Amino acid sequence: MAEGKIFTEKVWIIMIISTLIAFTVILGVLAEAISYTGPSAVCPVKYVELNEKIKPGVKQLSLGVYEVTIIGRQWAWTPNNITLKNPRKIIFKVASEDVLHGFEIAGTNVNVMVIPGYVAVITWTPPKDMEGTYIILCNEYCGIGHQSMYGTLTIVRG
Amino acid sequence: MVDNFNKEDRFSRISILFSFVVLAVGGLFGIIQLLNRTPYFPKFIDASTYYLVLTGHGVLLAIAWTAFFIMGVGVILVTRETGLGVNSFLLNLSLILSLIGTLMAAAAILSGNATVLYTFYAPLYAHPIFYIGAALLIFGTWIYAVAIFQVYLRWRKLNPGKGAPLATLGVVTTLIIWLEATPILVIDVLKNFIPMSIYKMPVDALEARTLFWYFGHPLVYFWILPAIAFWYYGLPRLLGTKLFSVKMAKVAYILFILVSTPVGLHHQLVDPGASDIAKFIHVIFTYVVASPSLLTAFNVTATLIKAGRERGGKGLFGWIVKLPWDNPIFAAIGFSIILFGMGGISGIINASYVLNYVVHNTIWIVGHFHLTVATAATLTFMGASYLIIPMLFNKNIKSVYLARLQPYLWFIGMFIFSLAYHIGGVFGAPRRTYDVLYGGLIPKEWIYTLGIGAVGGIVFWVSGVIFIIQMLLTLSRGTRLSKQIDIKFTPMDYEVSRPSILDRLGIWIIIAALLIFIGYSIPLYDLYTRGLAPYPPISPFGGKV
Ligand code: HEM
Ligand SMILES: [Cu+2]
Ligand SMILES: [Cu+2]
Repeated sequence: MAEGKIFTEKVWIIMIISTLIAFTVILGVLAEAISYTGPSAVCPVKYVELNEKIKPGVKQLSLGVYEVTIIGRQWAWTPNNITLKNPRKIIFKVASEDVLHGFEIAGTNVNVMVIPGYVAVITWTPPKDMEGTYIILCNEYCGIGHQSMYGTLTIVRG
Repeated sequence: MVDNFNKEDRFSRISILFSFVVLAVGGLFGIIQLLNRTPYFPKFIDASTYYLVLTGHGVLLAIAWTAFFIMGVGVILVTRETGLGVNSFLLNLSLILSLIGTLMAAAAILSGNATVLYTFYAPLYAHPIFYIGAALLIFGTWIYAVAIFQVYLRWRKLNPGKGAPLATLGVVTTLIIWLEATPILVIDVLKNFIPMSIYKMPVDALEARTLFWYFGHPLVYFWILPAIAFWYYGLPRLLGTKLFSVKMAKVAYILFILVSTPVGLHHQLVDPGASDIAKFIHVIFTYVVASPSLLTAFNVTATLIKAGRERGGKGLFGWIVKLPWDNPIFAAIGFSIILFGMGGISGIINASYVLNYVVHNTIWIVGHFHLTVATAATLTFMGASYLIIPMLFNKNIKSVYLARLQPYLWFIGMFIFSLAYHIGGVFGAPRRTYDVLYGGLIPKEWIYTLGIGAVGGIVFWVSGVIFIIQMLLTLSRGTRLSKQIDIKFTPMDYEVSRPSILDRLGIWIIIAALLIFIGYSIPLYDLYTRGLAPYPPISPFGGKV
């Protein structure tokens, strides 16, 4: 009985350890495969320099490659409605002027915290067949108007 | 036996009764949120009330309900198991400080002066009373910890040839983790929040947030460990069997001490400004800290199988039906364990950073922590109440039929609610928001999942109401206990067989400190060497304060 118990214990412990190692490896490989990088940052951006360093707007860097700079403040994104034609790659730079915000394009993989003083930079490759209008919303509580902080991203193909 | 601990039991009675009041108010807030955030359900409160209620729900349930219940039940377990008394001056002082602190924070929230949610991310502004109240509550818990440590050390001294008893060790482990976590939060509050609130001092949002999550993850073990300790302690006693493995239980405790803290960055995986390497280290530690939960799952299930077989259960699954599912204490624990398993799986998904940005800040997360803190901890505490309320107040539980039904309703409701919220989260439905319609742009998946979630939410809320009503009835009309509770509280021999390295907590605490250093030196070094970016405090109602 006692021996059986120790055996079961051992099997279980080996299972736990190998599962966790497998998770770590799979995670690393996956991250490598999709060339995952976490959001990087332009930082620190002092409160007084924000408006001079960050100019909201859409720039086309080369064919299909866009740089979209957005400022979040209570309770709107600027710019708020963005239309992009045949985007291949989009670099988002998102800054906050006041409190934490969360920049999410609903139904996509775009989801990043927007922290005052730390301009979030992420690169997104939208799926080739993706088109239509998506909600850009704020997913971090930023005050009582939080729910009205949203806009749209429209992707046009053709 | 029972009358030996009058002063300690008075502490537990006040603490636990207060936690029930908090649970009732917090639960009321929960149903308000649930209905209000269901698409097309008529809005019956405005946005600022919604966020006030949400702040109340988070602070009252995640912090106050858990802390007061745990403090109350901790004293019961420790006194009964060790047979030793607790310093009543320290106990009373801790109770007074925690109560005052909680009432201050609650007053600030309910008067609309702290609508910042329970995470109070800087630079959102709340009234100083809110932060001071939070700090007082924590000071209170520290004093409590000192009182419990005294008992533990005294027991070790009186019983040199024995290992520490399991439930006491669980409570002590919980408090060690609490003491790993809370000093940094107090520093954060004193250095950043109170000056921000009083002098309008600008604050670096990332610094404040990093320090908050240093505290925020160990906080979850503060909730879960007492529940786990109660499983280890309560299940064998309820089922008249032995715990499958005492050693494994102790290993689990120690793993929690070791790695519960250097994992906080898994809440900041999509934060800019925190290094990728540090995030990866925290993710690996997060997987490691999943292992004691898996050990627990195994240990507890093995105990259940043993008990079921001893009761004549045959075959692979025969043991399940032999377990006393009509006993509300057992049912509550059993369902807690099942849902904790689901919550653990979704937790591992949260931590896997290539998946995290799919679910970060969506209602997936709401689904996740209602399985863990709102079920594994809360439902276990409800089950524990069916055992300890009769003992503390010398009364039988009134209306046993309702008591039998209650854990089932919670289980069914929570299963539906959390599943629906998890799925809605994958479709991107945000958490923490008054309105999800977004001017009619709302995807239809959100409508379905939030709608189904609401049904589940109503069911487990009703279960909560039944629990509160039963406790009220028990206290007001419960008949006197005719006999002593027939549970052997003192440790069984096999539980305290000779001490081993697993009982030398000092060593493990030192290693834990080392791991914390490994986990946090990089992100803090980055943060402070590149220079901070303080921003002025902002009112949740809009604009600078
Ligand atoms: C009694 C029935 C309950 C219902 C109907 C309920 C419902 C909800 C809902 C719908 C939310 C999401 C609100 C939002 O993100 O906009 C929420 C958040 C939350 N709930 Fe519950 N809940 C209940 C019980 C509990 C319990 C017992 C606990 C913990 C012990 C708990 C802890 C939390 C926490 C920590 C949050 C997050 C607050 C935040 O995001 O700031 N809930 N609850
Ligand atoms: Cu927001
Ligand atoms: Cu965590």
